Amino acid sequence: MRSIKKYLILTLLVGFAFIPTLKAQNDLQISKVFDQYGEKKGVVMVELTDEMLDGYDFSLFKSITIQNNPSAADFIRKCLAKDEIGAKKVKQVVANGIPTSIYLQLARKGQLYRLILFNETFKPEPKITLIYIESKNDSEDVLKLILKKK
Amino acid sequence: MKFKIKYKLSFSDADRLIEKYYEGLTTVEEERKLREFLSQSNLPEHYKPEQAIFGYFDHKKQKAPIRFLPIIRWSGAAAVILFTVFSINRYVNENQTNYAFIDGKKITNVQEIKSRALASLSDISSKNSEVEDGLKNMNNKELIEEQLDIFSGL
Repeated sequence: MRSIKKYLILTLLVGFAFIPTLKAQNDLQISKVFDQYGEKKGVVMVELTDEMLDGYDFSLFKSITIQNNPSAADFIRKCLAKDEIGAKKVKQVVANGIPTSIYLQLARKGQLYRLILFNETFKPEPKITLIYIESKNDSEDVLKLILKKK
Repeated sequence: MKFKIKYKLSFSDADRLIEKYYEGLTTVEEERKLREFLSQSNLPEHYKPEQAIFGYFDHKKQKAPIRFLPIIRWSGAAAVILFTVFSINRYVNENQTNYAFIDGKKITNVQEIKSRALASLSDISSKNSEVEDGLKNMNNKELIEEQLDIFSGL
């Protein structure tokens, strides 16, 4: 009887321990970027779910903007290099041998299209922008729409 | 080799206790000693009735029944607690998916979050024409053919 109680209590404790990991898991390497840099100074991180955003229809929008952090840019590129594997389409703009813009159209997650956008600018000051989008609309159309709007 | 069986009580003491038992005068301790004595095997035949009284022949010793009710109660409590925790966690997560962190400070004002989101989108579709030109060129068949023509002359 005592051992049954002990096992039940143990089960409860294990259940509590696993709660944090029960959130939807992001299978991408870029999730590390949001985790590591998201709440730091000089960083703006945004997450929106199922919100209409100026005509865009995103199921999930997650972005991070980092200023004056070259090591973050290198880290993001390494993450993107891994996430690129298995991507449906990859587009890059390279300046002086370094990709300054990367667009990845990833394999679909269920009914949702997934897109990763990365951009690095140096003027007026170094700034990195990383965006992850999930949408019911085709990634190509989403990308065109984003680039069309200025 | 002769083995001497040592009984826990002598027969005379046992007989005395049995008589006392029938008269309802035995103490708890005396009954315990009597029970112990009668639980032994190889007792003389005349102790069989008393052995039956004290349950010696009850081969199928009844085990204490497993009480399922406490197990069910504990399982139920565990299930309710787990369900509650999961529900709260899910509710909290669903209600906190629109947020922004600016310099480490959490913002939940939806309008401000949206303006920050739009700002990051405009960074991507920046005024830097290199991006747009680059993308245009990637789809430009003519440019590719032009570049390949350079090699056709070799």
